[in-house]
Amino acid sequence: MTTAHGVGIGWRPEIAGFVAQLPGLGFAEVVAESVHAHGELPPGLAELRERGVAVVPHGVKLSLGGAEPVDPARVTHLAAVAERLAAPLVSEHIAFVRAGGVEAGHLLPIPRSREAVDAVVANVRRAQAELTVPIALEPIAALFDWPDDELDEGAFLTEILERTDALLLLDVANVYANARNRGTEATALLDRLPLERIAYVHVAGGAEHEGIYHDTHTDAVPQPVLDLVTALCERHRPPALMLERDGDYPAAAELRRELDAIAAASGYPTVT
Amino acid sequence: MTSLAERQAALVAALTAGAAVPPGFDGRLVEAARVALLRKRAGEVARQWPELAAAFGRDWPRRWSAWAAARPTQGSLRDGWDLARDLRAGGELPAAAGAELATREALMAYEPGSAPRPRRAPAVRRAAGSVVVQFAGRVRVLRRPDAGPRR
Repeated sequence: MTTAHGVGIGWRPEIAGFVAQLPGLGFAEVVAESVHAHGELPPGLAELRERGVAVVPHGVKLSLGGAEPVDPARVTHLAAVAERLAAPLVSEHIAFVRAGGVEAGHLLPIPRSREAVDAVVANVRRAQAELTVPIALEPIAALFDWPDDELDEGAFLTEILERTDALLLLDVANVYANARNRGTEATALLDRLPLERIAYVHVAGGAEHEGIYHDTHTDAVPQPVLDLVTALCERHRPPALMLERDGDYPAAAELRRELDAIAAASGYPTVT
Repeated sequence: MTSLAERQAALVAALTAGAAVPPGFDGRLVEAARVALLRKRAGEVARQWPELAAAFGRDWPRRWSAWAAARPTQGSLRDGWDLARDLRAGGELPAAAGAELATREALMAYEPGSAPRPRRAPAVRRAAGSVVVQFAGRVRVLRRPDAGPRR
């Protein structure tokens, strides 16, 4: 995003009423696959657009990291949704979600290998050929790594972004989860990434199960993730940050508190 | 060295279809991802099939995972539908979940292996003691054995 939109939120049908009543909201994100390309917009989303709130389609099923070429019909849908919403950009993940015709049902990591970088770069370029707006790529939270990683995460992500000239959707909760589970320093990755490419930032909650931190999007945002927002903004404040919640929605007061905490951690005005 | 496509397929099979974890991966972490994926799917199917999930109460995640562990997702609508039909076939569909299945089946035609599509003709469907009639796209529950609140 070229203009600073400040604090936003992931729009979901379950919290449409809450989102509609946020007076200072400048942007929201919607799961691209949940929007009909040409039919009616979901109730609440059209009103946000009429208010001038920027809405970014966030794809979850393109499988840009798949070894197979991305499905042209899925790219066409994403491009059509972006036009339907007059979106400033779209976003997707550096991940694969299906292989050999079988759906994984989740975002899976790809190897940090030259072969995998070539595959994801080719797929991003296929998508860019049809999209009329920029695409931002989101590194995922991975519970495991591939045995044949050749590149560290900073080099891997930087090479993909430079070769595709894509923007970065940085999920600080993913950065936190990966660092915590690998026993590395989260801020070390911030120092290796091209932060000036950040289009916007995801902030989400998680929980620990049996010694492993899971990026659930159904739990509260922990303080270390908010601290990472502050550490990021000290290096380079991104134009926009948003709360990403995907279930077990808390009361409105709790959602407002989390949005205010993101505003406080980043120095942007509150939107509540 | 096998191709990236084959190795990605082997990993998906391990996570969704009960196949062995491919060589070189940390088995404990892949297992944690497999269990987390089933838990996430349990929540997604519960949103599509609230009465089915509610009928099992706290036992829902376990019942779901036992059924889904070797079945890759076809989307949460079809996953819940397939499970409900399997339960009905085994005489195990809870009465409280019957109206939900009968309503879906009255509204849509679903042949396993292809996407559900809206019915054009009127239909009467039964499941676990519930009877549902559909005419011109509108449904009415004629009989529901569960005494719980109607939706």
